[in-house]
Amino acid sequence: MRKARFFIAEALRSIRANMAVAIAATTTVAIAVFVLGAFIPSFLFVQSAVDQQKDRIDVRAYISDPATVDQVAELEAGIVALQSDGTVESFDFVDKQEALEIMRERLQDPTILEELPGNPFPRSYIIKPAQAERSGDIIAALRDFPAIDPSAGVVDGGETTSRLLDVARFIQWTGLGLIVILLIASLLLIANTIRLSVFARRREVEIMRLVGGTNWFIRWPFVIEGIVCGLIGAALAVGLLWAVKIGVVDNWIVENDDSLTRDTATTIGFSALAGILIASGAIVGALGSGITIRRFLKV
Amino acid sequence: MSSDQTPNGQTPEDALSEAEERAQRRMLRRRGRTGGESSGRRGLRRDKSASFLRDGDGPMVVMEDVKKVYEGKDGGTTALDDVSLEVDSGEFVFLVGQSGSGKSTFIRLLTKELDSSSGRVVVGGRDLTRLRRGRIPYLRRSIGTIFQDYKLLPGRTAYENVAYALEIIGESPRNIKRMVPEVLTLVGLGEKGERYPNELSGGEQQRVSVARSFVNQPRLLIADEPTGNLDPDTSIGIMQLLYRINRTGTTVIMATHDRDLVDKMQMRVVELEDGKIIRDQRQARYALAD
Repeated sequence: MRKARFFIAEALRSIRANMAVAIAATTTVAIAVFVLGAFIPSFLFVQSAVDQQKDRIDVRAYISDPATVDQVAELEAGIVALQSDGTVESFDFVDKQEALEIMRERLQDPTILEELPGNPFPRSYIIKPAQAERSGDIIAALRDFPAIDPSAGVVDGGETTSRLLDVARFIQWTGLGLIVILLIASLLLIANTIRLSVFARRREVEIMRLVGGTNWFIRWPFVIEGIVCGLIGAALAVGLLWAVKIGVVDNWIVENDDSLTRDTATTIGFSALAGILIASGAIVGALGSGITIRRFLKV
Repeated sequence: MSSDQTPNGQTPEDALSEAEERAQRRMLRRRGRTGGESSGRRGLRRDKSASFLRDGDGPMVVMEDVKKVYEGKDGGTTALDDVSLEVDSGEFVFLVGQSGSGKSTFIRLLTKELDSSSGRVVVGGRDLTRLRRGRIPYLRRSIGTIFQDYKLLPGRTAYENVAYALEIIGESPRNIKRMVPEVLTLVGLGEKGERYPNELSGGEQQRVSVARSFVNQPRLLIADEPTGNLDPDTSIGIMQLLYRINRTGTTVIMATHDRDLVDKMQMRVVELEDGKIIRDQRQARYALAD
């Protein structure tokens, strides 16, 4: 306990004595954390929006009008089989009447339907894939059932679906890539700043070694100093992010109400983000100085 | 001539004021009473620091066939070659020789700042060639070290520099508050504890360094050119301090090429040349013969 107090006092003393360096390290942490803190929720938001679009993808299996009840039952058994092996999440049967109703709702001028002889709309299964990427498998598995209408067949959104999936993949991988690059860049930046600050004091560390300080006795104040700079830097960044959220993002959401609320895409909550950022600031600060100082402890 | 006097007839205390002298006597008396053993109220502290060196009548430092080669492209430089030497507890030894003769290497082997290439280095019964790296700090705490460039922590006052040596060994704040002013008074800096190193003269900085090396009350004190950066009068002051410390039973090994100082003191002189001991003489002068 007395030791902890001593180490903290030592850390604060050295921050005071090396104010310029401490400010440099803190600012570096603040900038890195701010960039990450802005990027991570944006990425998660886009990711969530894309996921929602992916959720809308479904597969339709159109049934030919002449298909018998047995043939339809056979098809349904095939879908159930796909459901039990996890390819299909859920499915729905739409009979001819329902198909007509759906079409009637969808058309701007339903009177056009009155002109039609009878009901041309086929029965169908609307199948929700467990993952959008699996829709192709579902099509392949159901295509050759006798109940399937040869001309309409089994389809998903086709071109749209594959484009959407491509975009989703692109966003996911570039986003992850960017986050990793950003993380590495911030780590290097912070480590470098801390290295400079420790390097400026290598003589001090040497002297401490020469008069008999153990490695951890010398290291603790540096580690605590790193934690303090990391915490303050991250807190500054979080404060700035908060200001940006209140001042810019929230207003923008209100102004663009329709486009965003229709898609209720979500992102990480601010307090969770703040917690993660501040914790990582402290950890990076501690590790950065704790590891850098090792080089000078070899005397 | 009393035993306290140096051969030139000047007593070492001459340079100290009366008040400093009182503090010094008090401190040294206490040390003489405890005699390096744990006892009484400072027993705990001694266990934490100086006990690393084994007590006993044996020699404080033993070097056996020590060789030190600095690796290099051209086969390396031999800094010490077949050095064998014993220094008894309580001795005062001057290590002399020209620059590059191996004095600093010798000194740095004793604190395990360097490792010997071959041979044995034993300090206070501890074989340094077999000492684990993790134990090095404990070795250094039990040896007082003084350097030519003082090696004071620049961001700390004189008081804090001395206190640091005690903080390292986990001394209680109460004892630190008591002991540091005592030692600072002992070295004649009673009034200057709050000054930073860059506010002190070279001689004063070296006194802080002496205070720091001594506050742990080590049984061995080594000094590498402690007067190298100081003018002759200031040097004598430092020398007197080291002499006083030696009088209390602390073994002192001092590397120097301060001819006047060595000639005045008439102590054991070990002379190095090209990494070899070419002379080991008691009550000697700097040079072999004039």
